[in-house]
Amino acid sequence: MATLTITQRVDSIVKEVLRVDPAKIIPSSRFKEDLGADSLDLVTLIMALEEEFKGPISDDEAANLATIGDAVNFIEKKTGFTAL
Amino acid sequence: MSPTRVFVTGIGVAAPMAIGTDPFWRACLDGAAAVGPIPAHWLDYHHPSSTLWAPLPEFDFLQYNVNRIERMQIDMATVLGLCACKQAIDNAGFFIRAKDDKKNTFSVDGLTASRCGVFVGTGMAGIASFAFNQAFHCFSPIKERLGVGSPAEPLLRMPARFNPFAVSQIMPNATAAAIGIKYSLTGPNNTFANACAAGTVAIGNGFRAIRSGRCDLAITGGAEYLADEFGGVFRGFDLAKTLVRDCGIPEKANRPFDKNRSGFLFAEGGAAMLILESKEHADSRGAVPIAEVAAFAESFDAYSMMALDPGAGPIKAMIRDALDEAGLTPAHIDYVNAHATGTQINDEIEARVIDEIFGKKPSVNATKSLVGHAIGASGAIESAVTALSIRDQAVHACKNLDDPVRDLNFVTSPGQREIRAALKNSFAFGGHNAALVFVRP
Repeated sequence: MATLTITQRVDSIVKEVLRVDPAKIIPSSRFKEDLGADSLDLVTLIMALEEEFKGPISDDEAANLATIGDAVNFIEKKTGFTAL
Repeated sequence: MSPTRVFVTGIGVAAPMAIGTDPFWRACLDGAAAVGPIPAHWLDYHHPSSTLWAPLPEFDFLQYNVNRIERMQIDMATVLGLCACKQAIDNAGFFIRAKDDKKNTFSVDGLTASRCGVFVGTGMAGIASFAFNQAFHCFSPIKERLGVGSPAEPLLRMPARFNPFAVSQIMPNATAAAIGIKYSLTGPNNTFANACAAGTVAIGNGFRAIRSGRCDLAITGGAEYLADEFGGVFRGFDLAKTLVRDCGIPEKANRPFDKNRSGFLFAEGGAAMLILESKEHADSRGAVPIAEVAAFAESFDAYSMMALDPGAGPIKAMIRDALDEAGLTPAHIDYVNAHATGTQINDEIEARVIDEIFGKKPSVNATKSLVGHAIGASGAIESAVTALSIRDQAVHACKNLDDPVRDLNFVTSPGQREIRAALKNSFAFGGHNAALVFVRP
């Protein structure tokens, strides 16, 4: 089985938590405005990403993640995360 | 006009012996008790006198309408409650229809949502989540100060984060709320925290809500999860000298009503849900009743937080009230599903009360001899057993009852019995007593 990329894994979590049309899962999609996430959805999303990548995301870090692309970039750069 | 009759039309069970009503009931009749050593890592914190518990089997919560994301947000007691609830709704023959994909909620065909209530009992649902979140809260600064490689590090067990859903994980009403949300039921939604009698009290209140005309249907039962990461709940019961102490032969340790009993077997957790339905509602959809609930009575000892009143006056009064409401006399009761924890004082008093009121006629058994004690879920699990005993006209045996505390008609081998009416007793820490009468419909 091919290893999933970080992008694929983030996309999968976004789909699982927000249950949005897969066509909307693109890097530029904003969680709130484009994907309809409310504050509880955002908290859940962060929690699910922490679980998936086995590392903490602080409140300040989470506040800077507005789009799917932001989340992917953040995880790629963050040390200590399970990137593979 | 006489009050409506109330039928049990569906049952779901998630208990140490099995997840699922059929395998659970089969295990009861087979005497396949659950017992095993307590988690080894609990001994890092404390060495209790008791070393055994009744562990839950592994199970796939996805099958019971709980998804992976929800699992991160709810306590295991609520997972167990939702598991038993899904089974009960299916067992009652209802069709569950998907409602909101993102929220993972459903509606149930054929129900008027505002006429359906949820009544759930628990002793301390949420305690495991409380302990684990609190561990993160207290231990993370300690871990930081100690630095990597400290010998204390293995003791600082904590989750990866303080769960943002901690409050709704921990609150005792979470299970009842989760059931109401999951199946879109907007009638009364209540939680009863009467310790070991909570499940019985919850079923009784659901029964009354239907009898009074407020509800057509009630999802009733109990849910509990007692295995905090550190074994602290176990330690509390152990220090109170309530748990089995003769643990040398694990399969013989749990022995309610036996002269050599030494305490109760702590259950990791459990849940049971019973669908109660007015006769008219059940008839209108052609549901086949499993059993009928004929009475609910309760009393309070006003005596001790931890021990039964040896005079048992309030318990006897309660049983007489239950029989009166059911329109029965003691001679009508064919079966008593006893509270029967296996503690010295409790079993002694209960056996005497049964003897005084019913004599040696009714079959008497102790479901806790098989399941262990799941506190707030126990009355619900045992009510499920009582209803199934009526449906199948069969009783399970008292496990390990070799030398009975009193000469009663204890069930020593499982099998067929004529059961027209049965009594389910529950007694709780605090002094709460509750009883249900189930009859053959």
